[in-house]
Amino acid sequence: MSAARTIWLVARRELRERVASRAFQISTGLTILIVLGLLLAPILFGLDDPPEYTIGATAEVSDIAAFVVATSPTEGTTADVEPYGTSSDLRNAVLDGEVDIGVDDGTTVLTGPGTPPELTSLVSAAIGADRLQREADELGLDPRDVAALLGAAGADVVDVEPSGDTEERAVIAFVGTLLLFVSIVTYGQWILIGVVEEKTSRVVEVVLGAIRPRYLLAGKVAGIGLLGLAQLLLIAGLGVYVVRTADAFDLPEVGVGLVIIVIGWFLLGFAFFASGFAVAGSLVSRQEEAQNASFPLTMVMLVGYFTATSALTGGDNAVLRVLSIVPPFSPMTMPLRQAMGIALPWEVVVSVVLMLIAIVVMIRIGGRVYSGGLLKTGGKVKLREALHAANQ
Amino acid sequence: MLRLRDLSKRYGDVTALDNCSFDVPRGTLLGFLGPNGAGKTTAMRAVFGLVTPDTGTVTWDQEPIADETRMRFGYMPEQRGLYPRMRIRAQLSYFGQLHGMVRTDADEAATRWLDELGLGDRSNDRLEDLSHGNQQRVQLAAALVHEPELLVLDEPFSGLDPLGVQAMADILAARAAAGSAVVFSSHQLDLVEDLCESVVVIDRGRIVLSGPVVELRSRSPYRYLEIRLSDGIDGWPDQLDGVEVVSAHDDLVRLRVPADADPTALLAAARAAGTVREFAFAPPTLSQVFREAVRQ
Repeated sequence: MSAARTIWLVARRELRERVASRAFQISTGLTILIVLGLLLAPILFGLDDPPEYTIGATAEVSDIAAFVVATSPTEGTTADVEPYGTSSDLRNAVLDGEVDIGVDDGTTVLTGPGTPPELTSLVSAAIGADRLQREADELGLDPRDVAALLGAAGADVVDVEPSGDTEERAVIAFVGTLLLFVSIVTYGQWILIGVVEEKTSRVVEVVLGAIRPRYLLAGKVAGIGLLGLAQLLLIAGLGVYVVRTADAFDLPEVGVGLVIIVIGWFLLGFAFFASGFAVAGSLVSRQEEAQNASFPLTMVMLVGYFTATSALTGGDNAVLRVLSIVPPFSPMTMPLRQAMGIALPWEVVVSVVLMLIAIVVMIRIGGRVYSGGLLKTGGKVKLREALHAANQ
Repeated sequence: MLRLRDLSKRYGDVTALDNCSFDVPRGTLLGFLGPNGAGKTTAMRAVFGLVTPDTGTVTWDQEPIADETRMRFGYMPEQRGLYPRMRIRAQLSYFGQLHGMVRTDADEAATRWLDELGLGDRSNDRLEDLSHGNQQRVQLAAALVHEPELLVLDEPFSGLDPLGVQAMADILAARAAAGSAVVFSSHQLDLVEDLCESVVVIDRGRIVLSGPVVELRSRSPYRYLEIRLSDGIDGWPDQLDGVEVVSAHDDLVRLRVPADADPTALLAAARAAGTVREFAFAPPTLSQVFREAVRQ
C-alpha cells in the first residue's frame, strides 16, 4: 500500500468522524448564523436606510428642503421643514432632538448634539444659495445669469488616488487576517485535542502497529486541513452570496484576489502550525496539559497577528516588513501587506519560499518528536526525550 | 517464521532486552512468559518497529520487516484502546484498510467478525457504549480483521472472565491452526500449559528457558510426588534421602525429589508407613518450571 493511500485513509477517517460529530455540526451552524447575522443586521435594523431629515425654521427660507434633497450625496434622502414661532422654541427643539437642525431668521444655522455633520453643510449651502439669489434679485440680475455665474464658481475636483479603494482594501485585509488567525487556531486546536485523545485512549499503539507515525501525522493534518478549508469556503461563499442577493453593501472588486491570497496563506500557515500542534499533543498525556504545551505556538501567532493589525492604523513599518518575510510569522503578516498593496513582489516570493522550507523542516523534526512522544505516557514528555526516543 | 536474534535494548541504566533470541514458526502458538518488567512488551514492540533495538535483528521469513510486511501482522497491545466514539463496524473496517485491505473486503470482514463475536446487532454502536468485555472482543477483532500471518498479543487474557478466556483461547488456537504464527504473553501459566506446545521464558531481558512444554518439564532436575495415606503422614518422609517436603497437610504430602529417584522404591516406602490412597509421581508443572527458571 502506497504512502499516499495510507495518508488518505487517515485523512478520510478524520473528515468523516468530524463531519458526523454533533459538536462539529452545531459549531458550523452557529458560525453560519453569526456570520449571516452580522451581514444582515444593517438591513434588518434599517441602519442602512437613506436619511430622513427634519429642519426647524423660524422664517421662510425658500425651497430649503428641496435644496437639501437635491444636493444630498445619498440617494433617497428626504427632508421636511417644521415651522417654529420664536428663536428660543427652535433652540429647545434642536437641543431636545425634535428636529435635526434649525434655521433661525433665515440666516443662522443652529446645530445640536443630534445634528449629522453632513446636514450642517447641506443646510449652510442652501442658505448661502438662497441669500445669493435674493441679493441677485435686488440687483435686478437675470436668474439665468446668476445660475451660470454660480456654476462657474465651482472647482473641478479630481481624485488623484489611483484605485480609490484603500479603505476597502484595509477592511478586507483586516477581515482576511482575522479569518486566517481564527481558523488556524481553531483547526490547530482540533488537531491538538485529536492527538491527545488518540494517546489517552491508547489507540495510537494499535495504529502505529500498522502504519508509520509520519503518515498518521500527515493524514491528520491533511484531513482536518481539508475540513477546515471546506468550512471556511462554505461560510465565505454563503456570506458573499447573501451580500450579493440582499445588496447589503457594495462588495469591493478587490475581493477575488484577496480570497486567493487568504486561502494560499491558510494552507501554508495551517501545514506549519497544525504539525506543531500535533507535536505538542504528542508530548502530553492529558487534555489539561495540552494547552500549556501548545502555548509557544499560540504566542507566535499572536505576535504575528498583533503586528499585522498595528499596520491598519500606523501603516507599514520595519517590524511588519521583517516579520512578513520570516517564517512562521509570515502567514499572519504577509497577507495583510499584500491585501493593502504594500508588499513588493520579491518580498512575497522570498516569504513563500522561506515558509515552504520551514514547513518541510517542521514536518521532518515534528514527525520524529511525534513518534518519540506518542508511546510515552504517564506525564509530560520533554522535547529532548522524545527526539532521543525517536532516534533510537 | 518470525525470528528475533540477539535483541538488546537499554533505557538509561535499565536493561530491557539482553541478547534476546527466539523464533515463532508459522502454524504454532507460542507462549511468551516472564515476570513483570522482564522485557516482554519491549520485545513485542520491537517486532512492530515501535521500539528500535540497540543491537540485533527482527526478521520475517529471513527478510527484514518492511512496511508492506508489517501490514500483514496483527497486534494487540497490553494497553487496550480503540477510538471510543467511532462505530465499531466502521472502526474494524478502518483497521482492515490500514492493513492493506480494499474497502469492500474490509467491510465484509468487519461484519463477519462482529457476527462471529456475537456483536452483529450492535455493529452501528459506538465503542464507548459497549460493556468492557465486548470492547475487549472488538479489540481482538481489530487485530484479526485482516487475517494476519503473524499475530502478537500482549496479555490477551488479562481482564477476561472464564468464558471470555475460553473464547479467546479457541480463537488463538484456530488462528494457529489456519497457519499463522501466533505469540502471546501471559501470567496464567496453567492456561498456557494447556494451550501452547512451546513456550519462551524471559527474565531481566534474557531468555532463560525455551522449548516444547513437555520437554521443559521432563528436563527439570526434579519430580513432584503427591501421596495420600489413610492414617496420616506422621513425619514419615523425613526418613528418606534427597527428599524435600513442599507441603504437608493432614493426610496429604507433596514432595520434591531428584529426577532420577525411583518411584517404585518411594511407593514401597509409603506403603510401609500406612495404607496408600493416592500416589502421583510427575514432572513439575509449567508453573513450577517457570518459578525455578526465574528464581536464579
